[in-house]
This record gives sequence, C-alpha cells and structure tokens, in this order.
Amino acid sequence: MARFSNQQIVRELKEGDRLGCRHLVDLYQERLLGEATRVFRVPRLDAEELVSDVLLAVINKINTFEFKRSDGDFHYWLMTIFRNRVRDFMRHRAQTDGLWENFDEAALEDDETYSATEREVVRSILRNYEESLGSPEENEGSAKSSARGALEVIAEVLDQLETWERVLLRCRALEIPYEDIARYTGKTAKQLKVYHARVKKKFLNLLGRQTPKVQ
Amino acid sequence: MNTKRDTIDLLLQVAFLEGKITTHGLYEQTVLKRKPLVRSADAVKAALSQRLEAALLSNRSKATSPLTLGAFLRRLREHQSLRPQDVISRTGISSNIYKMLEHDRISPLKISLKSWKAMRQFFQIPLDALEDMIRRTHQLVFFRASFRTTLARYDTRKNKKMKAATLEKAAEELFVRATLPLPQKEQEKLNAFLKALAEEKA
Repeated sequence: MARFSNQQIVRELKEGDRLGCRHLVDLYQERLLGEATRVFRVPRLDAEELVSDVLLAVINKINTFEFKRSDGDFHYWLMTIFRNRVRDFMRHRAQTDGLWENFDEAALEDDETYSATEREVVRSILRNYEESLGSPEENEGSAKSSARGALEVIAEVLDQLETWERVLLRCRALEIPYEDIARYTGKTAKQLKVYHARVKKKFLNLLGRQTPKVQ
Repeated sequence: MNTKRDTIDLLLQVAFLEGKITTHGLYEQTVLKRKPLVRSADAVKAALSQRLEAALLSNRSKATSPLTLGAFLRRLREHQSLRPQDVISRTGISSNIYKMLEHDRISPLKISLKSWKAMRQFFQIPLDALEDMIRRTHQLVFFRASFRTTLARYDTRKNKKMKAATLEKAAEELFVRATLPLPQKEQEKLNAFLKALAEEKA
C-alpha cells in the first residue's frame, strides 16, 4: 500500500484536491476503526459512523490546522478529534445503556483476585460518572464538568502509585504493547506482564481506601 | 490479539477520554505504529471518500462565494465524472427538471421531498449545506425576473447571445452581493419546505 505523508494530505485538502480525501481514508479509516472497536469496544456499526464523523470534522476544520513542529502534528490533531468523538460516544452510552454494555464485566466477576468490595468500588465510580452525566436531554455544561469530577479519585489514586506502575496501568488500559511501555519504565516487557495484575490489585486497594463509603 | 480486559481498564479508559489521565503521547504514537487489525470493504471506503469529497467541495465553495444548487450540482457531477443521465437514472428525477435544476431555472421547492432524499443519498450532500443552497437558489429564482428587468435597462448590447450572457453574469454578481429578504409568504413557504426536508431521514 502506498504511503502518503501527512504534509501531502494536508496540502491536498487545503487545495481542495479530492485525492486528499482518498489518501486520508486510506491512511486513517481502518486504523481508527480498529482503535474504536478493539480498544474502546465501540460496536462496529457505531464505530464506522464515528470514524466517518472524525474524518468529516478533519475536512471541515482543515483550514484551521497548521504544522508547528513536524509531520506528526496532523496525526496528533486528528487523534484529539478522535478521542473527543469516542468520549462523546462513551458519555452517550453511559446515559443510555450504561457503560458495562459491550464490556467484559464477567472478567471482573469471575476473577478471584478481586474481592466483592473491590468490584463494588469500581462499579460505584462508574455509577457516579453515569449519574453525573444526567439524562441525554440535560447533558450540557455543568453535568460534564461534574462527570469529570466523578473521576477525580482515579487521578488521585494513580498519583499514589510509583511512576512505572502508573505508566503501566494507564498504557495497558489502551492496549499499548508491553515492549513500548518497557522503554519508559526501566523494566522488561516480561516483568511488566507479570506485574500488571499485581499493580491492578494495588490500584484497586488504594481506590477502596479512597472511597470509604462503598462497603 | 485477545488480551484480558476488565472493568478497571474501562475505568481508566473513561478517565483518559475525559482528560483526567494522560499517556503523554504514547497512545498516539502506538496508534501510528500499529497495523490496522480491522479491514473495511472497498465499497465502504469508496462511499466514505465520496462523502468527504462532497464536504470538501461544499466547504471550498462556501469559502469562495455563496453557491446555488445548480452550480453545486454541476460541479459535483463533473468532479465525479458523471453524465446528467447517470444522475437522472439513479435519482428518478425527470431529465428536463434535472437540467433546469443544474441551471438554477427552477425553484428547489418545486422538487418533491422524495426526489431530494434520493439526491442527498446519491451525492452524499450534508443537510446543512443543502439547506443553505436551497435557500439561496429559491431567492435567486424568485428574484431573477426583477433582476432581469432592472439590468436590461442598463444593457446596451445588440447581440442577443452576448446580451443574455452579460445579463446572466450580472445577475449572478448582484445575487452574490445582495441581501434578499423574501416576502413573508415566500419565506414561510421556504421554511416549511426546509423543515420537512430536515425531518425526511436520508
């Protein structure tokens, strides 16, 4: 498959050349679709709609984009749009079906390493998040900031972990390969694989202590 | 690749999406390096490209000058290397009506909602862009007669063909620059049509 630089795509789109659209689709459509369905568990049809919305937003806003440092700027810009669209989808799902929909809650239920209290801690945070979003009709403004507030505890608890533990948890949640994480943590990929479950357990423990209401 | 995922990952993902935690660009770098694991049918990709092309064209036109439906449809059709017959056969619009539409000789309000639905699907035209163009084209058609009368007074060319071309050009320029408040009855008719069009699911 031919490779196109981001510089070339941006130039084509700014000039109104339709080849730019094809190159954009070739370079990003399957990639974003894979991220949406595999990492964020967006159902396939919704993911296709979401990706086309992201690419349409790119087309509509292309004139506001400027390269500042490198060819990668465009990728980061596009990924920000993608992340915002996935967030909107998650919020909508939280307000309608609930977040566990399409997620493997059973994995947590079956896993003997987590106690009932620990499981309940996770659920209560997600429930708070869902409730703080309100109904789809009243989801503007303050509801969204209170939604972010409901997740404050996660950042606080992560700060209590060691740096490499924090990096491991954050990155594995997004399926970043152990080999890549290893480069930033000073631990080998093999060690990280072994430690991952333990770090999760530690995180849950701290989370339980931070949210004492759930018992 | 089927890694074990649980609700803790979901929790962290939500925090990431809400901007509560960050990977300092590592996630974005990984996406760039990862080979796409999902395949998309060529037809899906082609349809998406077509939708993006229409949006690109519509944005470009908006940036240069206000566009009428006729100019937009003609450009879009030529952009996609289609003949008028191709559009006619796919949308079910009669050949005469389509030609009049491409030349802004007919108000878009005279075309049925069913035909507009077919056109939107065929050309993948975004609803907001279509509404803008319908509004503009209806104004153009409605005011054209008065443009002609006004402009004719100033036109001194003898050659009929040249005269028509000059008038046409002048009418377009005038239209681009003018603000054209429609009479209340016409405005209501237009609003009702646009409302029905928006309710008609593409």
